[in-house]
Amino acid sequence: MSSSSTPDPPPHLDLADIEEDELEVEQEHERALGEQRGAQRERGGGWVTLAWAAPGFLWLGFFLIAPLVFIVLMSFWTPDTSVGFVKDWTTQNYSDLVHPFSLDNAYWKDMWRSFQISAIAVAACLVFGFPVAYFLAMKVEKLQYQIALFILALAPFWTSFITRSVAWAYPLMGSHGALNTFLVKLGVSSYDHPLLNTQFTQLSVQLAMIQLYILFMVTPIFFLLAQVDRHAIEAARDLGGNWWSTFREVVLPQTMPGVVIGSIFIFVLTMGEYGTVQVISQGAVTTVGVYIQTQIVGTQYPQGAASAVLLVFILILGVFAITRFSNLREDI
Amino acid sequence: MSSSAYAPAMERTQDSVVKRQYKPKRDWAKWGLATYFVIFLIFLYAPMILMAILSFQGYQGGVTFPFSGPAGLDWWRSIFVNEVHHGQQVIFTNADGIRTAGEGSLWVSLAAGAIVAFLAFTLSMAFRRRFRGDGVAFYIILLALMTPGFLLGLGTQIFWKAMNQETSLWHTALGTNTVWGIPFGFLVMTAIWNRYDDHIDEAARDLGANAARTFGEVTLPLVWTGIFGAFLFGFTLTWNDFDRTALLVVGNLTLPLEIVGLIQAAALRPDLYALGTATTLVSLAVIVTFLVVLTIRSRFRRAPVQSVEEELGLGGGIDAEAAEQVVEG
Repeated sequence: MSSSSTPDPPPHLDLADIEEDELEVEQEHERALGEQRGAQRERGGGWVTLAWAAPGFLWLGFFLIAPLVFIVLMSFWTPDTSVGFVKDWTTQNYSDLVHPFSLDNAYWKDMWRSFQISAIAVAACLVFGFPVAYFLAMKVEKLQYQIALFILALAPFWTSFITRSVAWAYPLMGSHGALNTFLVKLGVSSYDHPLLNTQFTQLSVQLAMIQLYILFMVTPIFFLLAQVDRHAIEAARDLGGNWWSTFREVVLPQTMPGVVIGSIFIFVLTMGEYGTVQVISQGAVTTVGVYIQTQIVGTQYPQGAASAVLLVFILILGVFAITRFSNLREDI
Repeated sequence: MSSSAYAPAMERTQDSVVKRQYKPKRDWAKWGLATYFVIFLIFLYAPMILMAILSFQGYQGGVTFPFSGPAGLDWWRSIFVNEVHHGQQVIFTNADGIRTAGEGSLWVSLAAGAIVAFLAFTLSMAFRRRFRGDGVAFYIILLALMTPGFLLGLGTQIFWKAMNQETSLWHTALGTNTVWGIPFGFLVMTAIWNRYDDHIDEAARDLGANAARTFGEVTLPLVWTGIFGAFLFGFTLTWNDFDRTALLVVGNLTLPLEIVGLIQAAALRPDLYALGTATTLVSLAVIVTFLVVLTIRSRFRRAPVQSVEEELGLGGGIDAEAAEQVVEG
C-alpha cells in the first residue's frame, strides 16, 4: 500500500456537494414515499383498481346517483294535482321557494330552525363529547377497559332511534316525566307549570338530537385520540409545555380529522332529520325535513324535489365549510 | 445483557442512584373526567332506564309516569303472545305484528350489513392507490353520507317508477339502506389502510406468497376487524332506519315502521318499552359475547415470550430493590 503519499481529497468534494447529495437522497426518498402512497407500483395496477372500484360504484350509481338525478329532473317538472307531475320543464318550483327569500317563507323558516337545531347540536356534541373521548382514550390505561367502557357508551345506539324517541318524549320529557318530577322535587317547578317546557317542544327536540347523535362525535374523536403518539405528548411536556399548550399544539391537531368527521356526521344527519322530530314533537315542531316530507305525502313531488335539492345544496356548502379545518383523505 | 451488568466494578456515585418506588400522585383530571363519564352514561341511558322501569307496569299502565302497578311481566309477555288475560279481561297484543316486523328487520339488516362490509372493503381497496378521478369518487362516497334519508327514498321511488318497477323491502329499501352504510364502512376501512404497513405485504411476497395467498393469509386477518366494523355499521343503520324505508315499503315490514305505525294509531302501550328494552339487552349480549370470543382467541394466539428481556429472565428491567441489593451486595 502506498500510504506514504496520501492522495489529495477529491477537489469537488465540498460541503455544497454533500448537501446536494443529501438533497437528492431526500428527494429520492420522497419520490419513493409518494409512489408508495399513490402512483402505481406495478404495471396493470389501473385494472386492479378498476376491478376493486367497480362493484361499489355500480351499486352507488344505481342506488344513489340515479335516484338523485331523477330528483333533480323532477324538480324541473310541472306539478299536477291529479297525477303528481307532468314532464313539462319549468323553473317555477324554485322561484316559488326563493320568493320571498325571507323567514316569512315557511320553507326558509323551517330551514333556519333546522340549521339552529343542527348547529347547536354540533357544538354541544363537540363540547360534551370531547371529554368523553378524551377520558376513554387518554385516562383509561388498559385496552380492555377502554373497549368495555366504549361499548357501554355505544350500546344504546343499537336500540332503534324511534323507540328511544318515544322513551324520550313521554317518560322523560313529559310534564309528569322524570325530568320535571325531579325539578318539582327540587322545588323549582310544578306539574301544572313546568319550569322547562319540554314536552313536544323545540327544546325537547334539541336535547334529543344531542342525546341521539353525540356518539357520532365521540366515536371518531376517540379513535383518533387513541392513535395520538404518546411520545409526542411526553416530548411536549419535557420541553416545558403545560397541559393547555400540549393539548393545543400536539393533541388537537392530530384529533382534528375526528372532530371534522364527527361534525359532518351530526350536521348532515340532524339537518335532514324527519322521523325523530315528528315522534318527539308530535308535529308541533317543523324542520325542513318535515316540510319536504309533508310536500311528498301530499303528492307535491316536484315542489318537494326542488325543496330537497336546495337542502342538499346547503348541506354540501356546510360540509365544504367544515372540511376546511382538515384534509380528510390524508389525515384520517 | 446479563444480570452481571448490574454489578458495578467499583463504587460509583451514579450507581447508587436508586429508582424510587413510583408514588402514584392522585390524577384529579382522571377522576373528574371519570365522574363526567358516569354523568354522560346516565344522560345516554336515562330514556332506556325509564323505559325499562315502565315496561314492568301492570296491565293498566300507560306510556308515561306515574307508574301504575301492580308490577308484573304482562307487557313482556305481550310481545310474545297474542292475548294476555287479566281475570275476565282479555288484552289483545301486537305480538304478531312485532314478530313479523322483527324478523323482517333482522334479515334485511343482516343482508345490508353483509353488502356494506363487502362493498366498503372493495371500495377502500381501490382507494389504496391514487387513480384518475379519485377525488370525485371520494366525494361521491361522501355524498352517500350527506343525502338525507327520505330524499333518497323519494328519488328511488321516482326512479323505479320510471323503470316501471315496484319498490319493495328487498328490492329498494335494502339498496337504499346500504347506500347509507357504505360511507361509514368506507371511512372505517380507509382509517385502517392509512395505518396499514404495506411492507408486511411486501415481506409476504418476498417470502414467496403469491398475491392471493398474501391477501388471504396476511392482509385479511389484519384488517378483518375493520370489515366487521363496516358490517356492524350496515346492520345497525338498517336496523334503526325509518326515513329511508318508509316511502318504499307498504305495510309495517320493519320494526321502526311498526313502531311508528303504533304511534300514529295512538296505540302506544308499555309493550313498546318491553320491546325496546329487550332489543337493547339482546344487542348488548351479542356484543359482549363477541368481545369475549375475541379476547379468548387473542389470548391463545399470543406468543408465550413477549420480548427478549423476558426470554433472558430480565423481566422487570431495573427495579429498585434488585438494584439496591446489587449495590449493597
